[in-house]
Amino acid sequence: MRRMSVKGVEHCRWQALIVCLVFLVISQAQLGMAAPYYQGKTIKLIVGYKPGGGYDRMARLVAKYLPNYLPGKPAVIIENMEGAASVIAANYIYNIAKPDGLTIGTFNRAIPFAQLTKLDGVKFDVLKYAWIGSMAVEGTVFTIRNDLPFKTAEDLLKTKSPIMVGATGPTDTSGQFPTLLREYLGLNMKLIIYPSSSDIMLAVERKEVDGRSGAYSSLKPFIDRGLVRPIIRGRVAEKGTENLPVNEDLTTNKKGKAIMNMFSAGDLIGRPFVCPPGTPAAQLNMLREAFVKVAADPAIRSDAQKAGMEVQFTSAQEIVKVIESVFKQPPEIIAEFARQAKF
Amino acid sequence: MFDAFLQGLLMLFHVKPFMYMLIGMTIGFWVGILPGLGGGATLALMMPFIYKMTPEEAFPFLLGMHSVVQTTGDITSVLFGIPGEATTVATIIDGYQMTKKGEAGRALGAALMSSLVGAIIGAFFLALAIPIVRPLVLAFGSPEMLMITLLGLTCIATLSGRGKRGLLLGLMTGGVGFLLGLVGQDRQAGILRFTFGQLYLWNGLPIVPVVVGLFALPEIVDMAVEGTSISRNVDPNMKLGKGVWQGIKDTFIHFWLTVRCSLVGAFIGLMPGLGGGVAQWVSYAHATQSAKTAEEREGFGKGDVRGVLGPGAANNSKEGAGLIPTVAFGIPAGSGMAILMGAFFLLGIVPGPDMLTKHLALTFSMVWTICISNIIVVAVSLLFINQLAKLTFIRGSLLIPFILLLVFIGGYTANNSVGDLIVVLFAGALGYLMVRFGWPRPPFVLGFILGDLVETYLYISVTRYGFDWLYRPKVIIIFIIAVCVALYPFLQKKNLLNQEVQI
Repeated sequence: MRRMSVKGVEHCRWQALIVCLVFLVISQAQLGMAAPYYQGKTIKLIVGYKPGGGYDRMARLVAKYLPNYLPGKPAVIIENMEGAASVIAANYIYNIAKPDGLTIGTFNRAIPFAQLTKLDGVKFDVLKYAWIGSMAVEGTVFTIRNDLPFKTAEDLLKTKSPIMVGATGPTDTSGQFPTLLREYLGLNMKLIIYPSSSDIMLAVERKEVDGRSGAYSSLKPFIDRGLVRPIIRGRVAEKGTENLPVNEDLTTNKKGKAIMNMFSAGDLIGRPFVCPPGTPAAQLNMLREAFVKVAADPAIRSDAQKAGMEVQFTSAQEIVKVIESVFKQPPEIIAEFARQAKF
Repeated sequence: MFDAFLQGLLMLFHVKPFMYMLIGMTIGFWVGILPGLGGGATLALMMPFIYKMTPEEAFPFLLGMHSVVQTTGDITSVLFGIPGEATTVATIIDGYQMTKKGEAGRALGAALMSSLVGAIIGAFFLALAIPIVRPLVLAFGSPEMLMITLLGLTCIATLSGRGKRGLLLGLMTGGVGFLLGLVGQDRQAGILRFTFGQLYLWNGLPIVPVVVGLFALPEIVDMAVEGTSISRNVDPNMKLGKGVWQGIKDTFIHFWLTVRCSLVGAFIGLMPGLGGGVAQWVSYAHATQSAKTAEEREGFGKGDVRGVLGPGAANNSKEGAGLIPTVAFGIPAGSGMAILMGAFFLLGIVPGPDMLTKHLALTFSMVWTICISNIIVVAVSLLFINQLAKLTFIRGSLLIPFILLLVFIGGYTANNSVGDLIVVLFAGALGYLMVRFGWPRPPFVLGFILGDLVETYLYISVTRYGFDWLYRPKVIIIFIIAVCVALYPFLQKKNLLNQEVQI
């Protein structure tokens, strides 16, 4: 009996201790309210493409530096959600991801066009995302093989035999840019579709195709190596392409000018980063500030440079303004645009 | 040149590069064993760690991982009938049948040893090809690639069953595979084919869920119905260790077959755009052609060790050769190589012609990494392979939930989408029906992989050259080879019949 009671007392002591502990934990947790929101949390960064491409590389750079600039140092993990030129990822971020500041997405810079041309499967309103901003400007250039005799845009436009242009699809940047050159500048060219841009570069090497257009940052290694040279660029310039003639300036067709200008909106959006619509202002502002600081970090700049990329932040306000101006075009221009860009 | 060859080897044998290679290999070992989780995605995860490394340290780290994935992927294929990687499917056909017969040890021994031989031959192929690699790769334009894919398609004749009925079934399943390969957004005009309003299907049916469902699910159903372990009715006390030795010996008994399949793998790996999916099937088809009598031919698909040796060797030999387009042109041959190329830039090296002159030693150190990491991983695997083989004696009811989990996780890694699981289930149902009615699955997979490639290269050839491409000498030569390969099984059959008559 006596022994039992001693045990009972010990039991009570243990209980008291546990109760104390529980209180301690709860009070600690209440103190924790003051701790940074992101402390101990994980941010998921969704990339609308496979690993290895430009969007993925930029996202992984951001994931490396972002924790340093968010109070509480959250972990940032990458999730690749490829498919449908990243419309799948855009739909997911818009409709399914929770707006708690723990999901960030990056997708095709041309995604506003998918909405504008009323593409099947688009389940988002691009203006309603909680925009963080863009981490790069991606100017488009048209390049041709270095051993071809054409030195200037004028030479190129005068050619009698068709220029063989490699593209990854008739409706993405690599196909649209040359198609517009044909429509409004009269470039004599034939579009040949390859599975990926690396296949095009190999075809350039074996002289199967004569040229390709694409983001300057992707083509730069091949330009530096002397395989191709840039001839014409879009409205948005980058360091190294300022002196190239702009496609809009080479045409007198008003409609053509307007449409080429609309396309350059995508270049400015570059590498977009968004949160789901309805993300609380507190978290969104924290993220926006952090992105600005990440973009200014000399370490990310040098990492990016090594990977052949250039970090340049564009704010959410500016991007929204660009998209709005695209959406405000007169209906006949949009109709013509939709004809050119089936997405 | 020879200096660089040795220098490359010495580069690897410094303390740090070697340690990094071992770490990479350990990661690759598990990535290979787990189905679905591929080498490419893992490379992307490893990238942040190389920022502070030198090139001599980073490449052993990355390539050590990437080059053993194929080797250990074969283990999953043989043991459970689940493809560890999309490129280790062909090993299942005979390897898993051997496991069912209680010969898991032998099959694993053969798979590992042939992987090792393949890796070494692939590496030497790469080393020898370096001086001529640029003209060699550039010699194959889109029309030639079209002919090579056609050559691959002719393997359907070899992969089909015997007799007129077998051939007909093979062609039909090949055709169905071909059609399913066309699902998704068509590249040339951006038209959506058979997508039924599902964004998921825009990129086409993903290969991993399809093959995982097609091959693994029917076997699981079978095992559940029969209520046995993977090895059917075999005395668990029999010595498995002997089996492993037998498998290793088999590799050397059929040494020339292993070498030929390694060379096939290396050649296909060299061609950017064809990919590892093709290499394994072509070499499997080649292995079946080594059958000398009709009974031997019947034995393929029922557990002939040569059916393990062929794809096992080709899988690994293609790795070394697959580096060539990335290294020599700065043009990656797949998403894994694209990430590796990202690593080149991060480390301040520009891939391209310089890699074959200025940085030749570094290029050779990559060759050596592939070689040595495979030797080590095969040696380590052989040490505890007996324990692994014992898994096949566990009662099915205990093992099935675990295997099912692996199957679905493997399928899910394709797009991280519920759609992947649905594809696994559909492919599983299709696979079950195919087994039930005796329709061969290999031609289906071959058609599925090659359908898209044939269409792409045909389109490019015609838009670029009109009909002139038909007159290119290389096109004609490859076409003649393709015709010979297509007719070979019939000639072989005639021969076999004649022999039997004489006997």
